[in-house]
Amino acid sequence: MTKEDVAKLRAEIENSLAHAKSIEDLNSIKVKYLGKKGFLTNILKSLKELPLEERRELGSLLNQIKDELEKALKVKEREILLAEEDGITDLDLSLPGREPELGALHPLTIVISEICSLFERLGFEIAEGPEVESDFYNFTALNIPEWHPARDMQATFYLENGALLRTHTSPIQVRTMLRKKPPLRIIAPGKVYRCDADVRHSPMFHQIEGLMVDEKVRFSDLKGILTYFAQNIFGEDTKIRFRPSYFPFTEPSVEMDISCVICKGEGCRVCSQTGWLEILGAGMVHPEVFRAVGYDPSRWQGFAFGLGVERIAMIKYGIDDIRLFFDNHLYFLSSFK
Amino acid sequence: MKVPVRWLSEFIELEEEAEKVAEILTFGGLEVEEVYDHYQTLGEIIAVKVLEVNKPSELKDLAVCTVHDGKDSFTVLTAAVDLVKPGQVLALARPGSKTFFWDKIEVKEVKGYKSWGMFLSPYEAGVSEEKDILLELPHDVKPGENIYKALNISETILDVSITPNRRDCLSILGLARELSLLTGSPLKEVKFGENLKEGSQPKGSIEILDPDGCFRYVGRWFSGVKVAPSPFFIIQRLVFCGLRPINNLVDITNYVLLELGQPLHAFDWKRVAGGRIIVRQAKEGERLLFLDGVERGLSSEDLVIADAEKALVLAGIMGGEESGVSDNTQEVFLESAWFNAKRVRLSGMRHRLTTESSYRFERKVDPEGVYLAMLRATELIFRYANPEEVSIIVDEYPVRFTPPRIELKKKRLSAYLGFEIPEEKVKGILNKLGDLEVTPESFILVPKSYRQDLSIPEDLIEEVARVYGYDKVPTTYPEGVLYCEPPLKTLELTQKIRRLLAGFGFFEAITYSFIDPKLIEHLNFSPDDPRRDPIKLENPISAEMSVLRTTLVPGLLQTAFFNQAREVESLKLFEVGKVFFKAEELASERLNLGLLLAGWKSLPSWYEEERFFDLYDIKGVVSALGEALRVDFLFKPYSEEPFLKRGFSFDLYLGEEKVGYLGRLKSLIAKDLDLREPVFVAEIYLDELLSFIQGERALSVKKPPKFPSTFRDVSLVVKKGIPLETLLAYLKAKEIPYLEDIKLIAAYEGKPLDPDERSLTLRLWFRAEDRTLRVEEVDPIISRLVEELIEKFQIRLR
Ligand SMILES: [Zn+2]
Repeated sequence: MTKEDVAKLRAEIENSLAHAKSIEDLNSIKVKYLGKKGFLTNILKSLKELPLEERRELGSLLNQIKDELEKALKVKEREILLAEEDGITDLDLSLPGREPELGALHPLTIVISEICSLFERLGFEIAEGPEVESDFYNFTALNIPEWHPARDMQATFYLENGALLRTHTSPIQVRTMLRKKPPLRIIAPGKVYRCDADVRHSPMFHQIEGLMVDEKVRFSDLKGILTYFAQNIFGEDTKIRFRPSYFPFTEPSVEMDISCVICKGEGCRVCSQTGWLEILGAGMVHPEVFRAVGYDPSRWQGFAFGLGVERIAMIKYGIDDIRLFFDNHLYFLSSFK
Repeated sequence: MKVPVRWLSEFIELEEEAEKVAEILTFGGLEVEEVYDHYQTLGEIIAVKVLEVNKPSELKDLAVCTVHDGKDSFTVLTAAVDLVKPGQVLALARPGSKTFFWDKIEVKEVKGYKSWGMFLSPYEAGVSEEKDILLELPHDVKPGENIYKALNISETILDVSITPNRRDCLSILGLARELSLLTGSPLKEVKFGENLKEGSQPKGSIEILDPDGCFRYVGRWFSGVKVAPSPFFIIQRLVFCGLRPINNLVDITNYVLLELGQPLHAFDWKRVAGGRIIVRQAKEGERLLFLDGVERGLSSEDLVIADAEKALVLAGIMGGEESGVSDNTQEVFLESAWFNAKRVRLSGMRHRLTTESSYRFERKVDPEGVYLAMLRATELIFRYANPEEVSIIVDEYPVRFTPPRIELKKKRLSAYLGFEIPEEKVKGILNKLGDLEVTPESFILVPKSYRQDLSIPEDLIEEVARVYGYDKVPTTYPEGVLYCEPPLKTLELTQKIRRLLAGFGFFEAITYSFIDPKLIEHLNFSPDDPRRDPIKLENPISAEMSVLRTTLVPGLLQTAFFNQAREVESLKLFEVGKVFFKAEELASERLNLGLLLAGWKSLPSWYEEERFFDLYDIKGVVSALGEALRVDFLFKPYSEEPFLKRGFSFDLYLGEEKVGYLGRLKSLIAKDLDLREPVFVAEIYLDELLSFIQGERALSVKKPPKFPSTFRDVSLVVKKGIPLETLLAYLKAKEIPYLEDIKLIAAYEGKPLDPDERSLTLRLWFRAEDRTLRVEEVDPIISRLVEELIEKFQIRLR
């Protein structure tokens, strides 16, 4: 074998490597050159018969080729294997995946926790109270004595023992203030009950009550906090407006509207073409309420607000029938996954 | 309250459109719910052309008219046989519409002749007092056109919602005052009863025996009055405001009530025994036949107007039938009074009576308006009932009204609102509310008698702010003391549970707290079970919502029914909510968690076989919940709950305390409730659970092991009576060396096993802390264990 033959051999090997497309091709190259009876193996064996000088020179050349071939085979093998993994099979990728089952929280729970955590970030603490209430906490302590016509505003469910189902979350204000000294900031969600039922009213619904009492709480602060609330829940471009109203336990009292989230104030069916949606009632805590809980009204000032959770959820999710919340139909509930 | 804008404009110059007035009122605090044209609320009242008039002999007093409405021809029957003529254009009220006096029009049929509506007289159409003619329209009016549009008749009404504090706005005059306050536009000068000749002597006496019930009583006698229909403008205005016209005297009292907000009452003086008007407490058991035809028993808490013998009127609420004005009345005694608001309110509540009169009295009337109303009524009676003689006014006023003197510190005003309002503005606003005195530090106001809602400085702050405009209130953020409280434990727990269950694929339901007592009966609670005895509502909306739930199960079952009836075949629901039990005070409220699984666990899919829920599904959920909450639930087999299948149920314990139950609903109950089986429920008492979580045991953080574990599987054939629990308890008690964990990895019954046998395959995990265990170490342990099990439980190996 001459040097020219070796060069030829090298070229031949390179050529067949370059044409190898599969592991089988590689295997046949391997067998052809490196197998027990392979070409290179044979030549290397036959070198013994050559003179020492020639044997050394040719031997080292051939061994070099053998090493190169072995390496190249490995590299090529990996290349082919990797390429094979990218091959497209007839596996139907359009079959649906095996999904873990998803449940969901009730939309009212979602809205309640969203609003509560918003106020928690502002340093309000969550408070709770009983759903079966006494006349005192539900009415009297809130400046609504027995004969007060404002009681007509809230059709009340009474129980056989003379207690009642709270008509609003405001008794939680009273209970908290009786328990704690000012200053305080609470946010109090819960179920409330009124005896009327139609598309817009449910005999049971949810309210969230907010209360802040401190030495310098002002009416304008109420506007600030509620603006912050509205823009966080309904979007940064939400506008709010205050309208004077009346609640026996606040003075001044307001109703708050937000710019309609559907039409952005242009006027649509949801907002009865007004561009505004009524969203909550609020006001500065009435001095009589402070007196009823033993706070000095000349020292402490505060604001309170109460909002209907269903109303907010209906606006947020575009729901037009309040009864959907309590039918608990799975199709409805599964929208909130 | 319905407010005709034209009437309003008799008291105040209104330059703005009705819509603008409505906006001003709304942003002043009295929400105007609707602005509408009264005539357009009547429905389709249109012009029709009479084409033909027939008088079939079988219809005695009726004519059959064929009319045309511009599109179609149809027939209308009328009794005005002599008045209808072909070619006339008449006013027709179509079926579905109503006359001015609320009579509904329907399709009528007489002997096969149909009447598609009714021809209206001018009176029935609310156009004029003429009753005996048909309303005939000019010939150029097109058939089909709305007659009021054609005649250019309209009456704009504001429907104003008056908040309970603003009783002074329950009248036309009151709203005019409010508008004047809000817009600055002055009130028109209206004087009543100025030119009346001085009257004769009173015909009787007025005695107030209960000055706590009646602060002021003004009376006057009218003789020789002519009871007749009211002038048409009074009739119209009453109708616009929703009141039914009766006769001139009654109508005048109602007119003044609407106009000035002061209720009046007219007595037939002939019916007042002894010539005495006595304001007194009712006698216990005294009875009175009321104007509404109902006889009611009175009590000493009621205030009545009586004569020498008996009660005539429940003061401020409703008159008696006997003493009221009738068509034959000639002598009238007119009352204008100021009754104790609280007493009227409580009395009305006791008798379940609300009238236009009591509605105003219980919100406090204007003490000075009492007299004004008498003057106004006198004037109207003079004009429209032609009395021959009028007495002087008798004014019994035992308790003089003294308005409060309210001091508002200037500093307080800005500190409360958070911004400054120019002092001139403040003065301008307060000046309209009463007599104002301004000192360097304060505004001192003595409010007008009709503004009894103003009594404390904060009331004045509100007035100033709302008149100045809430839109001018700036947006600021509060300054407050920082403090921090730990979150509520119950809330943390329920939040965690809710999230876990949603993660487990459950949907949260919220059901009503009141349920149908029949549902509780279905659950068969034992007589001494407090759940059997729910708290009843006094005034439920319906029988289906008449008791407070004592368990969450009924609500969940109802929800399952609702869903199953609407094609939902697989349900995983939970609810977190309160249940209620009788207690000495209020109620004992307990927070529970309810779970429900119903129908298919998995519906057919390409990778999973369909199957129903079974007991181990609900057991698994509860134990995973326990694990996540780090409590050791004990599942005590065979629950005591009477509505669960005993063999498929557990009572749930934490230590010695029962904290809930779970299992399969009895088939018979499911059948009674029309539920498709299987139905599994669980209820966990969160209040009890919470007490176990409160002392939350420290998390034991496991370090990753240094040496590998090894496991051995043992398949045991066990008699069916022996629960897995027993085997595990036995093994755990043995303190087997290196044993780390045991898991059941297969359970099988069926051939080739005997019917009373089953096979359980346990995988036992072993690990040493300091080295890799060798086969020779583990195998002997296993063989010894198996031998012991065989001996102890008559087990054989498979
Ligand atoms: Zn809109």
